[in-house]
Amino acid sequence: MPRPGFVLEVDKSTPPILFWRGENFSLEKLPAGRSRVIYAPEPLPAIEDVDGAIRHALLNPIEQDPLPEQLFPGMKLTIAFDDVSLPLPKMQRPDIRQRVIEAVLDMAAEAGVDDVHIISALALHRRMTEAELRHAVGDRVYDAFAPRGTLYQHDAEDPDNLSYLGTTPHGEDVEINKRAAESDLLVYVNINLVAMDGGWKSTATGLSSYKSLRHHHNPETMIHSRSFMDQHRSELHKSNWRMGKVLLDSGVKVFQIETTLNTDTFPSPFGFLAKREWEWKPSDRMTFLASTKALNRTPTRLARKIFHSIEAPHQMTSVQAGDVEAVHRITTEHVYKQQLVEVKGQTDILTLGIPYISPYNVHSILNPILVMCMGLGYYFNMYKGMPLVREGGVIIMTHPTQPDFHPVHHPSYIDFFEQVLADTTDPHVMSQKWEKQYAEDEWYKHLYRTTYAYHGVHPFYMWYWGSHALQHCSRIIIVGGDPKTVRRLGFVPASTMDDALEIASDVVGRAPTITHLHAPPLMVADVS
Amino acid sequence: MARDDAPWKPSNLAKAARIGELVERITHPIAKRTYRKGFPYLPPTIPLGVEVPEDKPTLGADYDTDWARRSSAKFVRKGLVNGPIRLAVRGLASPKVYGVDRLHDLAQLKDPPPLIFTPNHHSHLDTAVMAVAVPEPWRSKLVVAAAADYFFDKRWKATMAALALNAIPIDREVTGRKSSDMIKELIDDGWSLMIYPEGGRSPDGWGQDFKGGAAYLSARTGAAVVPVFIDGTGALFGKGMKRPKIGTTKVVFGAPMRALEDENTRRFSARIEAEVAELGDESLTDFWTARQRSARNESTKLTGPEYTGWRRQWALSERREMGTAGLRRRQKRRWPDIGN
Amino acid sequence: MDAVRIGRSNDLVVQMKALKISRKTAKFAVARLMSPVSTIGAAKFGPLSLVNESAPTMPNAEGWHRIQPRLTGICGSDLSLVEGHASTYFDDWVSFPFVPGHEVVADCDDGRRVVLEPVLGHACRGLPLPFEGAAPGDGDDYAHLVGGHLEPGIQTGFCSSTGGGWATELIAHDSQLHEVPDSMSDEQAVLVEPAAGGIHAALATWPAVQAAIQRGETPIVAVLGAGSMGLCAIAGLRRYVPQVRIIVGARYPHQQAFARSLGADVVVPAAELARAVRRESGGHIVGDYLSGGCHATIDAVGSSDSIMDCLKFTRPRGRVVLLGMPAVVSLDLTGLWHRETALIGAYTYGTESMPDGTKRHTFDLAIETAADCQLNRLVSATYRLDDYQNALAHAAGAGRRGAVKIVFDLRASDARNKKETN
Repeated sequence: MPRPGFVLEVDKSTPPILFWRGENFSLEKLPAGRSRVIYAPEPLPAIEDVDGAIRHALLNPIEQDPLPEQLFPGMKLTIAFDDVSLPLPKMQRPDIRQRVIEAVLDMAAEAGVDDVHIISALALHRRMTEAELRHAVGDRVYDAFAPRGTLYQHDAEDPDNLSYLGTTPHGEDVEINKRAAESDLLVYVNINLVAMDGGWKSTATGLSSYKSLRHHHNPETMIHSRSFMDQHRSELHKSNWRMGKVLLDSGVKVFQIETTLNTDTFPSPFGFLAKREWEWKPSDRMTFLASTKALNRTPTRLARKIFHSIEAPHQMTSVQAGDVEAVHRITTEHVYKQQLVEVKGQTDILTLGIPYISPYNVHSILNPILVMCMGLGYYFNMYKGMPLVREGGVIIMTHPTQPDFHPVHHPSYIDFFEQVLADTTDPHVMSQKWEKQYAEDEWYKHLYRTTYAYHGVHPFYMWYWGSHALQHCSRIIIVGGDPKTVRRLGFVPASTMDDALEIASDVVGRAPTITHLHAPPLMVADVS
Repeated sequence: MARDDAPWKPSNLAKAARIGELVERITHPIAKRTYRKGFPYLPPTIPLGVEVPEDKPTLGADYDTDWARRSSAKFVRKGLVNGPIRLAVRGLASPKVYGVDRLHDLAQLKDPPPLIFTPNHHSHLDTAVMAVAVPEPWRSKLVVAAAADYFFDKRWKATMAALALNAIPIDREVTGRKSSDMIKELIDDGWSLMIYPEGGRSPDGWGQDFKGGAAYLSARTGAAVVPVFIDGTGALFGKGMKRPKIGTTKVVFGAPMRALEDENTRRFSARIEAEVAELGDESLTDFWTARQRSARNESTKLTGPEYTGWRRQWALSERREMGTAGLRRRQKRRWPDIGN
Repeated sequence: MDAVRIGRSNDLVVQMKALKISRKTAKFAVARLMSPVSTIGAAKFGPLSLVNESAPTMPNAEGWHRIQPRLTGICGSDLSLVEGHASTYFDDWVSFPFVPGHEVVADCDDGRRVVLEPVLGHACRGLPLPFEGAAPGDGDDYAHLVGGHLEPGIQTGFCSSTGGGWATELIAHDSQLHEVPDSMSDEQAVLVEPAAGGIHAALATWPAVQAAIQRGETPIVAVLGAGSMGLCAIAGLRRYVPQVRIIVGARYPHQQAFARSLGADVVVPAAELARAVRRESGGHIVGDYLSGGCHATIDAVGSSDSIMDCLKFTRPRGRVVLLGMPAVVSLDLTGLWHRETALIGAYTYGTESMPDGTKRHTFDLAIETAADCQLNRLVSATYRLDDYQNALAHAAGAGRRGAVKIVFDLRASDARNKKETN
């Protein structure tokens, strides 16, 4: 029986706590008597018969007819799937998307459907490489569809392949992939790693264009999303749901298939990363010592390569299909069941160990902007109720934060770092002053459409992601970060955790309470 | 006294302490440095607010012996039993085996049924003697119920017991659900069981009351119980003896028994006990005398006379005198027969 | 309790769970070598083992009881045994294998809740008392500790006949049992034994204190070390020795706080104790030594360094009381010789001569003290018996980990709660 999440009150007997530091980790002693550590619930047991469960979900959808009944010869069927940003780290083969898509295709073949397109719903993310596509959908699907040109990636900058469906009552434009909009049935294959994913966000964001996205990917919405993980209190989700309504009204028929994974994040030798420190076995301690010492001497490039080759032993805990909203309600329950940890009260200082990976740097580099996004956008938002850190509190992150950018994946990030951040770190100001220029830059568009680059506007979105945290906290400290880079981000560099706590003390006093989010594996703190 | 070695010499402990001090002088600085580094060089300390879950026990009654019944382990065991164990048993105890003919009919069957052997228990030698004395085809498919608290308390002991004797752990006092399920499975698989219904070695040379385990298992699995009396092992290597003595032993097998209709476990168990006692009588006297005494209900009980104290011990020595088994007495030196 | 009849005799054999120390030289050596690095290792591979076996049998004499511990403390002397550091002095005064544990609050088979006075004195060995009303610890000839109808053993917890507190069951004699008043919690009661030790040491300073009072000086007593024994000594000084000014050297902040709350007047980090004593008592520092110093000192550490320090700041013809068990130490005793310092041990308790001239039993004083001073505060953590490796590690690192007294909690133990059969 997996144990639920756990909030540890740190005392003098508590061993030092594991902090991620990018492509490495360290053990940090937290002050006794006023610190606590939030541990994620242990991975839930997986569904044993995955294929059977998928089939069952397709045959018994929620508030919709069984999938085979919706399929007919001569129809246009489009299958859209989540892109490379999910799950993290990538899961061991076979990927759950492959299993679901194959099950859908089986039924389509039986029903005599010939016109099938499979689209990677990547919005403004970078395109997936062939290897990544093969990993996600499997070789069988790839070899059958890619050569025919019917397995391809959504292009948010291709005016010929977008269709404008109108506006929401709030005046938000809704524009999505033309093929998806014109299909008789759009089957969306989703992976719900966190409560933010899925629902109408899958289609209304994943298959849309900049024109549509800008209505909810902006500082105003982000600040009023409290948090992204709680869809009922998230402006981001409300906007997506309004857009979903427009989609429905304009006749787009969506068959949503959502899956949830457990938090079995690290394969065996790295199992200690998800363990509670006092339960480390001698082998865990050996692995920790050996790997930290080795990683200290390993060139960063090689370390990245090693880490990005980690494949998680994630396993499916639920699959449900049918009506988008009905399905997503159940999915969210499953995600919460895996991730929710009850936490009493806020804290003065929130400490976060930033790992090597975020949704936006798979097989890539966690550049300084993504460090900010990971800490302030994701980890800060891992709450329900109220943020873990009190208003006016301090966030301390640990990450090397080198000014390293992946030139192919993140070209606009480099300019954003050099130009925009040099000018301002205020999300509102930059959205007024700089966003348009980056969104419409032809070179960025070209790179996005033809190579493997994120859209020009993407770094802005990353920065907006952290808007609420920037407004909420009075100081952000990065331990071990490159000082110049950290200052450029508007944060304070510190060399050690003790230094960071000293630096924080003039904001939060000499004896602040400290909370450490022991992630990954991911969890959502239910703060009351 | 605190020490039973020569108390006028410095004790081993004192010597060890002196050596320890010397070694410590060298290792202490290194140890101190390691100690200062703490976790993760040292095991983590447990935070106060954390309830340490009890380790799932993997020893004692929870020791998993499945591996010992794989073919490779069987092969090793065959070598052990027929080699060193047989030699040792012969050298130490020279067992004479009687009554195997009572099992003859069953052995002739195409599919000999699994049996439950229930010997009396005086010595660790019993198991080894039985491992050698039990006739084929049961010998090679014999598991031995061994006290979980004694044979399975340390990993090395458990491994040895499981490998060499095909022992399975069982609680002395109550046959727990888990143990009995496991045994049922084994018997259903065709394994025969040897179990000491007394639950432990005799503390004083007399037997102890039989516990109901064997009878219960027989009723539950349908396997017949074969009563066995082992004589002499107590004198050779009884409880509390530090090293075994050399002597002779006797093993008498009885006829297979089953619970009668409407006989409950308790009564069946008593009947097994009586049968073992009668076999004991048989081994001390002869078949006919034993029968007669049994018919008159005069067989000496396994558990010995009712009285306590020295008379009990006295009666025991009497009994041992009667038997041929036991210590190998030195032949009385006789004058050479040079003829008249 | 599982009770099994052996043969035809009517002896009940009771099964118990116990931690047992056996006399295995190699294991002592291993424990000793491992202990500086890992107490868990010393506990795992050393002479200590967790066993399930029959409880000790009752001696054939009057006044014996089966008692089932509720809480049992882990004492420094127990720990040094587990870590293989015990002095070989004890080799002939104890009987292996034994179950350690002498700070016991237990349920007695006659229904009382009792604390155990561990010393196995004349009464329980069936020997004549040295004087009327003598406590187990009284008497000037220790021959009785190795005689009578028990195996040798200075006290319960070092004797193979009686068992010890780190078990679900042991036997104890009437003369060892003191009923605990209902108003007293188990956590208070488990500290009665250490409190008795501390009070005994505190009263051992009386001759020096008395001399100071007679000279019209304010008697100053320094206490070095504020583990559970040191803290108990502070409580004893404050309660039973009149007029003293108590100066405490304690290493860890939580120890300092406890020392203050138990009545210490001046509390400083251990390393600053000598200068603190000089500030209080006046005088010079000559070399390493104070020219004067405090009237008496209680050393509740018991290492070479601590004894050396105590000798340095105790005034000439003063008194140093050794409360911590020292084992083998190396000392430069020139100062002791020159200053005519009295260096005395304070092991145990018995009948005390109080400053006002009355005679009291130390354990009675300790029961009062444990309740009045709320000594239950000193119980920092409780462990199950089968979690003994962590418990011992916690006890060994008590100071560093913000703890004082670690105890085994046997109240929920399975073996204990089984109903008597047969």
